[in-house]
Amino acid sequence: MPSYVLGISGLYHDAAAVLLEDGKIVAAAQEERFSRLKHDAALPVRAAQYCLETAGIPVSRVDWLVFYEKPLRKFERIVSTAVATFPRSWRSFPRQMHHWLGDRLWLRANLTSAFGVSPERMMFCEHHLSHAASAFYCSPHDEAAILCVDGVGEWATTSLWRGSGSAIEPVSEVRWPHSIGLFYSAITAHLGFAVNEGEYKVMGMAAYGQPRFREEMSRLLRLDSEGGYSVDLDTFSWHWHPTEPATARLARLLGPPRFPGTPFTPRLDPLAQHHADVAASAQAATEEALLHLVRHAHAAVPAPALCLAGGVALNAVCNGRIAAEGPHAHLWVQPAAGDAGGAMGAAMWAWHGVLGNPRGPALRSCALGREVARDRTAELLADLGARFDDLGDDAPERAGRDLAEGKVVAWVDGREEWGPRALGQRSILADPRSAEVAERVNRSVKFREPFRPFAPSVRAGAAPRYFDIPAAAASTSRFMLSTHPVLPEAQAGLAAVTHVDGTARVQVVDADTSPRFDRLLGAFEEATGVPVLLNTSFNLKGEPLVSTPVDALAAFARSDLDTLYLNGFRVERMR
Amino acid sequence: MGLFRRAWLTVVSEVAWRIPGRPQRLLAAFALAERGSMLDMLSAVELTERRGLRKLYFRHALDEARHAALFAGRVRSLGAIGRAEAAIEDSGQLVEAGVVAGTTLFERLGEEEFLSFVYVAEADAVEQFEVLLARRLPDPETAATLHRILKDEHFHVSYARTEVERAAAAGRPMRRSMALHRWRRVGQAWLRFSSDFGALMGGFWLGLAYVVGVGPFRLLGRLEPGGWQRPERGGSSLAAARTEG
Ligand SMILES: [Fe+2]
Ligand SMILES: [Fe+2]
Ligand SMILES: [Fe+2]
Repeated sequence: MPSYVLGISGLYHDAAAVLLEDGKIVAAAQEERFSRLKHDAALPVRAAQYCLETAGIPVSRVDWLVFYEKPLRKFERIVSTAVATFPRSWRSFPRQMHHWLGDRLWLRANLTSAFGVSPERMMFCEHHLSHAASAFYCSPHDEAAILCVDGVGEWATTSLWRGSGSAIEPVSEVRWPHSIGLFYSAITAHLGFAVNEGEYKVMGMAAYGQPRFREEMSRLLRLDSEGGYSVDLDTFSWHWHPTEPATARLARLLGPPRFPGTPFTPRLDPLAQHHADVAASAQAATEEALLHLVRHAHAAVPAPALCLAGGVALNAVCNGRIAAEGPHAHLWVQPAAGDAGGAMGAAMWAWHGVLGNPRGPALRSCALGREVARDRTAELLADLGARFDDLGDDAPERAGRDLAEGKVVAWVDGREEWGPRALGQRSILADPRSAEVAERVNRSVKFREPFRPFAPSVRAGAAPRYFDIPAAAASTSRFMLSTHPVLPEAQAGLAAVTHVDGTARVQVVDADTSPRFDRLLGAFEEATGVPVLLNTSFNLKGEPLVSTPVDALAAFARSDLDTLYLNGFRVERMR
Repeated sequence: MGLFRRAWLTVVSEVAWRIPGRPQRLLAAFALAERGSMLDMLSAVELTERRGLRKLYFRHALDEARHAALFAGRVRSLGAIGRAEAAIEDSGQLVEAGVVAGTTLFERLGEEEFLSFVYVAEADAVEQFEVLLARRLPDPETAATLHRILKDEHFHVSYARTEVERAAAAGRPMRRSMALHRWRRVGQAWLRFSSDFGALMGGFWLGLAYVVGVGPFRLLGRLEPGGWQRPERGGSSLAAARTEG
């Protein structure tokens, strides 16, 4: 009888559940896709239910439930920080205690009541170890340095590990309150974006600015000669203030903060240009810090491969530079590098690290979530009175032709993606050649700020003709996790997906892992000669990726998209 | 309850609308409620066994999505960008405001009860919007928005009523179920109030604990230094893996 391990993350950021059957991933899903609440942090009851259904087992068959944190160690950190920052922490302490006394301290009992697993069959994996495991065990590397960088877990905010076979050993860590992730979030808040959500926007805005505030940034985030760093705890206040990550000193240093929702017109408005420069400076400081850490990692753990995880590992521009300029021959990043990925890491750590089972094959596809059932979809389309054709297996070719005609297409196919990126299962696709189409995508569905670039997907064989992807980024570019230069001669032809700085967060599509998406790209290539498409996540602003046919149809109806493909059904606009 | 509720709504609306900043809050709360109800309706589309109702549920869901955007737009124009953005984009607000919980209404109630709930809730919304308009409280643009939304709400009330009446004619105890929903809504408002109040009291005691329990140890407290540190860890033994600390 096979063994089952259920990994769980939640209660802080993105909640997720992952089920392993004899070490193999049966299903992995984020709770937000079920509850439809973006970044839902509630215990992932539905995601776990989905995982069990996919395996076809009752919860009684689960051998171990593994939570992605050690709650008591986190509690210890919170109490001792409150002591060390008395009396400034007077506002945050009651809030934190309210949460902890309310439920987090009784986690084991709460896990039992939420998931029905008995308390004796639980393990608790340290937060950064969950991240480390999510990167290393999913990678194809037998030996690797593992670097995790996020806001904070229990104590660690940055950690270095040595991965070897089934074992992961700690090497060193940077502890709270020093944190690159929180530094980046504080700048995100200063620039008027929501923390844990607007970080991508800072990254996009950075391309419009010059890093004029290098000097100031190096005071806020100081790199030391031992390969580590510290932050300026007089300017930042995340360790004692419940909502403000920085004191007024930050504005004295970097100038006035940006008011949320201000239109961004850097060419016309000097203040907007100033903010773009702040974004560029913070991004540059983060890239320098990451490269500094990566070089240290290479010196401390000499291995040709580097595995990355933690929320900061979703900074695709950083990853691109690490691949191009860092000392490692191979870079591997967990696609759900944020806390959702902790569920996967926790389960894998239990299976390999604790129970001592040998490694399995590397993760090659993110299509690990819910699938669209064809019969239910047909019934739903009929009930809603939609106009549709059943193209069956010919859908990719037809979609390719629609795109060549300039249509903006929503493409729902197979199991949904694990992690924040749409990789051809829940995507909006469009012609990458003209900026006018990108504009239309924005108007019709995404409504996003102009400084957030759209990403391209390219057929694997054609990638070198368009993008300068270093060998070390072979796997990160498969999951849209790194940004690379668009070749100068290709930029004009890919206007919709080339960012102002001449780069793109490209996805390289393999025919063997994504056969249908590759065929779609092939059909577009046949019609236009271009093996590239604009690929952005299929969701409306403020909502998670669509998951079910109902989600897809509702998003379709609320947008101005031309055509929706739903696992082989081609749906026309409903008016 | 009708007259009493109307009087209550009148007082609340008058008070709420006249305090600076409050109209934005109220409209943001509407936006959240509309968003929550969109999620409930989509869940009904997914789960219904009465295929004939699917299209109505779907249309209803799209209406609520539009209403949420309209209300958020009004909040934004009245000058509360942060809150309006949050009402539309930050799902955490939906949870905090008690608009959504672990399961959708349809999952909790089942089809028949769900419909009677929809009838009660939609009728309440109509009443609240009508009071606002009758008292001439909102600015002209918000009033125009409310008029637009009211048209949809009347449609929601009427199709739900048709279904409720149909069920009642078939001998189902719909009157009782509607009364129950009415009281449940009052109960929930009370629960929200008392949990806010409880949090306030809890905050007081925790604040006291902070001064008495945390303060005296101030000199012992120390923040960690920056830079790489040697990790202290429990290792990967099964015994260590099973502990929470
Ligand atoms: Fe994390
Ligand atoms: Fe509504
Ligand atoms: Fe309604």
